[in-house]
Amino acid sequence: MGTSRNVERRTILKAAGASAAALGVAATAGCGGGSGAGDGTVTIRYSWWGAEERAQKINKTIALFEKKYPKIKVKTDFQTYASFWEKFQTQAAGGNPPDVFQNAVTFLRKYDKRGILLDLKSQVQAGNLSLDHFRAGVTKVGEVDGKQLGIPVGSNTMALVIDKKVFEKAGVEPHTGWTWDDYFKALKTIHDRTKVAGDTGYFGIMYLYDLYLRQNGKAFYTKDGLGFDKADLTEWWADGYGRVKAGIVTDPKVVAQDFPKSSLSAGHGASEFTWDNFTVRYSSEGDSTYGLAPIPTMDGKHTGQYLASLMLSASARTAHPKEVAQFIDFMVHDPEVGTIMGYDRGILASTEQYAAFKPTDAVNKEIAQYEADTAKAGVLGTITPHPSGADTIEAAFLRISGDLGQGKTKVADAVKQFFTESEAAFQA
Amino acid sequence: MGPAVTLVEDSLPTARKTRSAAPATRGRRPGRRRENLAGYLFMSPWIAGFLLLTAGPMIASLYFAFTDYNLFNTPKWVGFDNFTTMFDDPRWQRSVEVTAKYVVIGTPLKLLLALGVAMLLAQSRRGQAFYRAAFYAPSLIGASVSVGFVWRSLFSDDAIVDRTQSFFGWHVGGWVGNADWVLYCLVALTVWQFGAPMVIFLAGLKQVPRELYEAAEMDGAGPLRRFWNITLPMISPVLFFNVLLETIHSFQIFGSAYVVSNGTCGPADATLVYTCYLYQQGFQNARMGFAAAMAWMLLLAVALVTAVLFWSQKKWVYYEEDAR
Repeated sequence: MGTSRNVERRTILKAAGASAAALGVAATAGCGGGSGAGDGTVTIRYSWWGAEERAQKINKTIALFEKKYPKIKVKTDFQTYASFWEKFQTQAAGGNPPDVFQNAVTFLRKYDKRGILLDLKSQVQAGNLSLDHFRAGVTKVGEVDGKQLGIPVGSNTMALVIDKKVFEKAGVEPHTGWTWDDYFKALKTIHDRTKVAGDTGYFGIMYLYDLYLRQNGKAFYTKDGLGFDKADLTEWWADGYGRVKAGIVTDPKVVAQDFPKSSLSAGHGASEFTWDNFTVRYSSEGDSTYGLAPIPTMDGKHTGQYLASLMLSASARTAHPKEVAQFIDFMVHDPEVGTIMGYDRGILASTEQYAAFKPTDAVNKEIAQYEADTAKAGVLGTITPHPSGADTIEAAFLRISGDLGQGKTKVADAVKQFFTESEAAFQA
Repeated sequence: MGPAVTLVEDSLPTARKTRSAAPATRGRRPGRRRENLAGYLFMSPWIAGFLLLTAGPMIASLYFAFTDYNLFNTPKWVGFDNFTTMFDDPRWQRSVEVTAKYVVIGTPLKLLLALGVAMLLAQSRRGQAFYRAAFYAPSLIGASVSVGFVWRSLFSDDAIVDRTQSFFGWHVGGWVGNADWVLYCLVALTVWQFGAPMVIFLAGLKQVPRELYEAAEMDGAGPLRRFWNITLPMISPVLFFNVLLETIHSFQIFGSAYVVSNGTCGPADATLVYTCYLYQQGFQNARMGFAAAMAWMLLLAVALVTAVLFWSQKKWVYYEEDAR
């Protein structure tokens, strides 16, 4: 009896020990380990959104950085746009956001409000990061209430990407200063002559509606709310839906199926409004030749365009603010990084990188030309604020306009729904 | 716990039983306590897991359901606000509608197919094992993301489904982009996975005593009559089990809707199943309080449906034991 009891106890103790050990291991793994090692080497985490192609380029630039700063190791992570922000939000809420990450203007106020973003001004003053040698005005995009929350890596602006072959076949030529009437007439001509819808769904793009509103002396956002009323949106969406019915805008059923590919590169539309640096995407996705065209106007002059930017931001909770600042500094100023990245994240923002990269392929040349032309035309205005919640509202705008395009919602209901959801997003 | 302990004691060698019989009243107690302790210790990883990973989060989510919580703020108590906004929210109503449609159409179809195929496979024939395995296989892989992608391409423009349909002169185009059709694409995906209930039906069919059929045949009952008066009542407990399981399972649909719609639960919210909306509100819009309230509503709804099913079983489920 006695012995058997002992055996039992020993077994139990072993089992208990094993489970405790297992829990212990799990707990340590959960913490993600320390980021500093004994020899003074620190590890910083860097994440971004984008495709595989961007990841390959970024990895090359990181190799350069680690060669120059052997005491700093960089751990990387990337996802697609939507997944990136879902993951980031959860990480940030758990107090564990990446030390440095790609950012955009839509997210600045949201995460500033939540105390996630590091004000990089202090690092600039400490001499770890330079705000000199940037192309005119681009660093403004990363400023919120006097804080420098992001450092631009590249600038971009909304543009009209066109399928050159279809436009040519239809005999339509976009030109600077053309009006919305000209544009929609062109879409109709394209549809009549080539049977291809002229546009892939302009009325669901928040950034384009912003330009349209700016042309009319308004903007999509004010400092803390929407900059337009229900009547404005009703008109915009009713017209859009009418054009879907008329066949000059791609059937949203087709757009939904093409997704995540663009309907422009799938050959189901002849033009699409998007950021100019995305042209690269169409060329690799589709078979046709793609080019950039001017944004249509109200008055033959003002396009409402402004320079936006992808940025690098740092976490307010990072244990290594100095190293993070050095990393950002290297990534935005080093000429070799510029030649590796090209215009993948927009026209290079710092003058060193801008000068170092000379585009050789047609697509990148066209992007450079487009931004040069836009700047020369003097149409670039200052960026209007994007309040906290702008990201949710952008998604709702796209989704609801899609419902509308499918004929599943009446315009009045769609507008009402959008205003309700916006209200909730601002409050969140 | 009770029966398990008895079982252990019964299996003890008789020698020990007789020897310990005398001091039983004094010696039993600490021994049993020690045995219980051992039991709990062995269970401790599971108990810890349950408390930390299931019970804890559940209690927390019940609390969040009554708060305004965006992951970053301190949850603010708002009473029943989340629930009242929910009932006023057209997208929430839409998600209930889509889910109900999916459950009501998908579950019966799946079970009918499962029962039909099970009856065919219940008869002995060559290659039986192969067929059973072949029909069961989709249940194993059906929930995977890759099958979702395959489904998406099968039901796109000019893919096999579209072409077959068009061949018969019925032009719909791809189902995936069509708000009126895409839900049936999801229904087809769940019906295709009829293998799991089929296996359970098979087991149930094997239990029906042959004599009943022989007697019925002698009395001149045809196949339909035999099915209605013998098979169905005899397998009704199994049928009940399958209905219950598949209904609960259907309510929780997420993966296929998310993958087939490419994460949008669209087009035009046509695949906005309940959990998909919950996910969007919680993880995309960071309205965690609202999402928690939605989760508890789902639990209540499933509990209610389960209760109704249990109540209804008196009327149509036949347990042999009752007859005795």
